[in-house]
Amino acid sequence: MNNQNQILGVFDDPDVVTDAVKELVKQDVKIKDVFSPFPLEHVWDLLKLKTRMPYATFIYGALGTSSVFAFLYWTSVIDYPLTFGGKPHNSLSFVVIMFVLTILFGVVLTLATLLIREKMWPGKNNPLPDHRSMDDKFVIVIEQGHNMDEKEMQKIDELLKQNGAVEVNRSNV
Amino acid sequence: MYNIKARGVLIEGNKSYHDITRDITNPLLAKKTPAWWWITAFLASAMLAWGVWGFYNTIAFGLGTWGLNNSVSWGWAIINFVWWIGIGHAGTAFSIFLLVLRQKWRTSINRAAEAMTIFAVMAAGMFPLIHMGRIWDGFFVFPYPNTRGPLWTNFNSPLFWDVTAISTYLTASFLFWYVGMMPDFATIRERTSSKIKKAIYNVLSFGWVGSARGWLRFEAAALLMGGLTAPLVISVHSIVATDFAAGVVPGWHSTIFPPFFVVGAIFSGFAMVLTLMIIVRKVYKYEEYVTKKHLDAITRVLTFVSLIMGVAYISEIFVAWYSDSPYEMFVFFKNRTAGEYAYSYWAMILFNAIVPQLFWFKKIRSNVVIVFIISILINIGMWYERFVIVVTSLSKTWLPATWRGYSPTATEIAIYVGTIGFFVLGILIFLRFLPIMAISELKGINKETSVVTENTEDHE
Repeated sequence: MNNQNQILGVFDDPDVVTDAVKELVKQDVKIKDVFSPFPLEHVWDLLKLKTRMPYATFIYGALGTSSVFAFLYWTSVIDYPLTFGGKPHNSLSFVVIMFVLTILFGVVLTLATLLIREKMWPGKNNPLPDHRSMDDKFVIVIEQGHNMDEKEMQKIDELLKQNGAVEVNRSNV
Repeated sequence: MYNIKARGVLIEGNKSYHDITRDITNPLLAKKTPAWWWITAFLASAMLAWGVWGFYNTIAFGLGTWGLNNSVSWGWAIINFVWWIGIGHAGTAFSIFLLVLRQKWRTSINRAAEAMTIFAVMAAGMFPLIHMGRIWDGFFVFPYPNTRGPLWTNFNSPLFWDVTAISTYLTASFLFWYVGMMPDFATIRERTSSKIKKAIYNVLSFGWVGSARGWLRFEAAALLMGGLTAPLVISVHSIVATDFAAGVVPGWHSTIFPPFFVVGAIFSGFAMVLTLMIIVRKVYKYEEYVTKKHLDAITRVLTFVSLIMGVAYISEIFVAWYSDSPYEMFVFFKNRTAGEYAYSYWAMILFNAIVPQLFWFKKIRSNVVIVFIISILINIGMWYERFVIVVTSLSKTWLPATWRGYSPTATEIAIYVGTIGFFVLGILIFLRFLPIMAISELKGINKETSVVTENTEDHE
């Protein structure tokens, strides 16, 4: 990906890592990412991460409702109107299928959005900076900027240690 | 945030995060498959083989191999279909309702419940397929431009709604289940030392790494997918109920059917979760994850749902009397309660409405053996409920000249036993190769709900 060094601050407690992120943000250190074995909701707030996924899902649902209705209307009213029981061709009971397929559209396309936005696919080789972050460690990744010298890097190392990092490593993954 | 202390400690034994990873992944990374697994798999395969014979018999010789007749035109096939669909509500009811309600105690059980859903719905799907008789024309049920008119399917028919609802339910449940497993596959990928397993679980994990942004999107997507699927639980079984309620047969033509079926489905689903989890926690020694408190919580839900079932049975009887329709009166007061199938009616009342009321007593709730037995009795009772609805109503309708009895043939029994074998085999594969509990979710609740006390300052 790049040849620049990254600082990895390894923590072993979700609350400590959250506090550390808070402190780093306060000190204007740019955090590239935080890897954790389970979601840390407060970290999202601190890093000001947002997702527009709900809006996307709403659009998918609306798309589902309208396209299913269009299909039902076309088949039952335009293409092959079939009268039975004297009921109107454009039937109220279309609601049932529209309801169910709206959900299908929403679920499938939301998942597709997740996979596309996260660039995930089966068999993707995605190296982890520290593989223990899948087990019991929480890893803050800080990238070395263009004008960041060794001294500044060491300062960040110190900062991480002061805030409870159990290890500070370098990596270029 | 949602710091729910009411349930007490959810994971006992003061586990560290690494302990959780180890406990859940060790059984599936073990090189040796345990003997009980092979024995059960063998029995299940034998059952499935008998089911395959039933399938073959039906396809080769037609529906004449079943015990159906002109009056009782729906027999075991529809009974078992509804029964399996009911069990299939466990996963979604459990996992998604409790997710939306922020009930953290779902965490150690939801994965297994979802797996049950998948296999139960697949088992259910086999019955309409085989009931078609000409299974090779099965694609007729889908609306596609064809040379028969073009004649579209009847979009106003509950049977077509069924096709839509159940295939949607299966798809949505499967995707929700799979998405939840991706982080756990990644955990297994990083933990295994075998190259082959690493490659397989990497494919399954879609290259998940667990970055902050990844988790944010993952959580959003999971909650959205769950929230969307939740109404499906209501709609699927309501639609199955309209298969009956939209017909005019006495005993079926009732507005109570959709809610009655939904509640019944949740009832049998929760009972099946209980059956399965009691076995799993014993065999895998997961008593610290699925604690007695978990079982207690499920039994409380069952007690409440059983009360609703009882009220539904009583109100059915009341409405039959209140309607003053001689046919409805006959169904309930002569046919079901006192007719030749009365044993099934009373079994249904006993197992669904009366026996679960024993859960009011703490002594019974905390006795795992009794809880296990009652959970099985509930599933038998729910099977009888479907039997009562289908067979008693159809066997004696308006004209006594059309009255016929019904008993299943070996072919029908074989197909039913075959689906049980299929279900058990599916669960066994799940237990052996997939993470049985949501590892990442367990870690997420470990700290706030267990006894670890250091570092508990609030971050709000």
